[in-house]
Amino acid sequence: MIQLEISDLRVLFPTDDGLVKATNGVDLQIEESENLGLIGESGSGKTVLGMAILRLLPKDVRVTGEVRFNGQDLLTLREEEMRRVRGKEIVMILQNPSSALNPAFTIGNQIEEVLRIHEGLDARSARERVVELLKRVKITDASRRAKDYPHQYSGGMKERAMIAMALASDPALIIADEPTKGLDVTVKREILNMLKEVTERKSMLFITHDLAAAAEICGRIAVMYAGELLEIAKTEELLNDPLHPYTKGFLGALPSRGLTPIRGTCPSLIGLPAGCKFHPRCNDAMEICRMEHPPMVKRDDGRQVRCFLYA
Amino acid sequence: MLEVADLNKRFSSGGLLKKRYIKAVDCISFRIDRGDTFGLVGESGCGKTTAGKLILRLIEPTSGRIIFDGIDITRLKTKEMRKLRPRMQMIFQNPDASLDPRMKIEKSIAEPLRLKGGLRKEEIEEKVTDLIDAVGLNPEHARRYPYQMSGGQNQRAVLARALASNPDLIVADEPTSGLDLSVQAQILTLMKELKRDLELTTIFITHDLEVVRQMSDRMGVMYKGKIVEMGETEEIFRHARHPYAKLLIAPYLQGGCGHHDADINGGNGNFRGCVFYPRCPFAEDVCSKREPEMIEVKRDHRVLCHIF
Repeated sequence: MIQLEISDLRVLFPTDDGLVKATNGVDLQIEESENLGLIGESGSGKTVLGMAILRLLPKDVRVTGEVRFNGQDLLTLREEEMRRVRGKEIVMILQNPSSALNPAFTIGNQIEEVLRIHEGLDARSARERVVELLKRVKITDASRRAKDYPHQYSGGMKERAMIAMALASDPALIIADEPTKGLDVTVKREILNMLKEVTERKSMLFITHDLAAAAEICGRIAVMYAGELLEIAKTEELLNDPLHPYTKGFLGALPSRGLTPIRGTCPSLIGLPAGCKFHPRCNDAMEICRMEHPPMVKRDDGRQVRCFLYA
Repeated sequence: MLEVADLNKRFSSGGLLKKRYIKAVDCISFRIDRGDTFGLVGESGCGKTTAGKLILRLIEPTSGRIIFDGIDITRLKTKEMRKLRPRMQMIFQNPDASLDPRMKIEKSIAEPLRLKGGLRKEEIEEKVTDLIDAVGLNPEHARRYPYQMSGGQNQRAVLARALASNPDLIVADEPTSGLDLSVQAQILTLMKELKRDLELTTIFITHDLEVVRQMSDRMGVMYKGKIVEMGETEEIFRHARHPYAKLLIAPYLQGGCGHHDADINGGNGNFRGCVFYPRCPFAEDVCSKREPEMIEVKRDHRVLCHIF
């Protein structure tokens, strides 16, 4: 069953230099209890997409399209209704736990807040539940560490506290934005394993620039570039047989695959190139790529790619 | 080219009465041949950046010797050291912070040349143009300020500046952390080409195993200030012996390391034994009592562990 269905989602930021098209006509579905990876380089619009789903963007930002969660369009909900979805049904794990956690409250307090608001627990049972949650994310000596402030936690522990907080309201969908950024190798592996374990019966949108991390815990991966999805594929298909020239280039630039750079640089989101957004950097670019914008092609084998080579 | 012997650095912390010492770099020794790249890997706080700074004497070692091209630089006076500096360059993490924001790129790159002296203005300009070209920047970038450039472009400028003084040794500390994958590939490819063309000797400090595997001929794995395993890069990736190195390299080892769940929270107590003892799944009695010594398990493959 499809849990989240995004159709033609566009996000426009008005700036002094003109309109910035942060996401430009995104179509994406997430099935129930599926882990979907969203990869892309900085500025490709992946965080904005996550924020747009939960309507976390500032008011002057224009968001159009549809975001259907269990059939209901989130973009048309009233703010009070949205508040019941946000933090309860859909939870976001924000980038950089050091700034996402409030330094003035203990870790326990911050998780309790979720439990009191969304689960209606009283103070005592909330405290008990906090300890359970911290144990679940393998914080040793949980009842004592619940009374610690964020600065007393290491980077990996803060990330685990964020996961505990996300699990507090037992959401159906978790949006995790770069949860492994800046963590050491062994800690990163541990966090990935944990995310995999806790999302076994939940769905997750896993936003990252780290393909290896996405490959480890996601069944499907969507590739984002300059505000658009260029390819959506099963993880093994994407790794072994990428279709889009950008995906091929991205894989080739991995240190493990020979570090071949993609020529040129990511375009600025103001004044994007006409035609295919990737054509100035593409070795296979044809005449039509400069003139027309390629549609997402659905191939017979179910794979999706936005490229005229497959049209 | 470079030999490091028993290098130590202690930082003191705490008050007057209760002074505590932190061994940031603890008795490390290694050598690098001319034209080789030596990778230093380890997790944050293991002392790899401190080691890099010590080698260039940007901070003073507590004890130990650093021999650069036959000269023991630990004994040199500031003035003599300054004469050697142009031959040793460091590339720091975060290119945006290592360029002077008030200087145009061309001025930053020209600075080492001006300090060297003896060059006419036109000669400097010509050299700067060559360098800008060598690192793959366009001539128009020369007149820009760092804030007008991307992270990747700034890192290229930093490279150009480091190359300006014709160095023999470059210490690169996480030169691509925070850069996007495609930009990282560009910078690392450039560094490989430069190394080949200019016979640069490089110390490459990183936490990224994939990167160290691509960039270095030999490598050392650091843990809590010590090099626990050292040897040829491929040898280590295939046959790591030290329990910590195995844990780190696990995804690349055939058959894994067999102990994914080693407790990574443990280990801050004071004891005399091996630094990895509190986390080590193979620890024996002796490990908590006595520090292990570096053992050569194979030609040019050394391990700091009692098991061997």
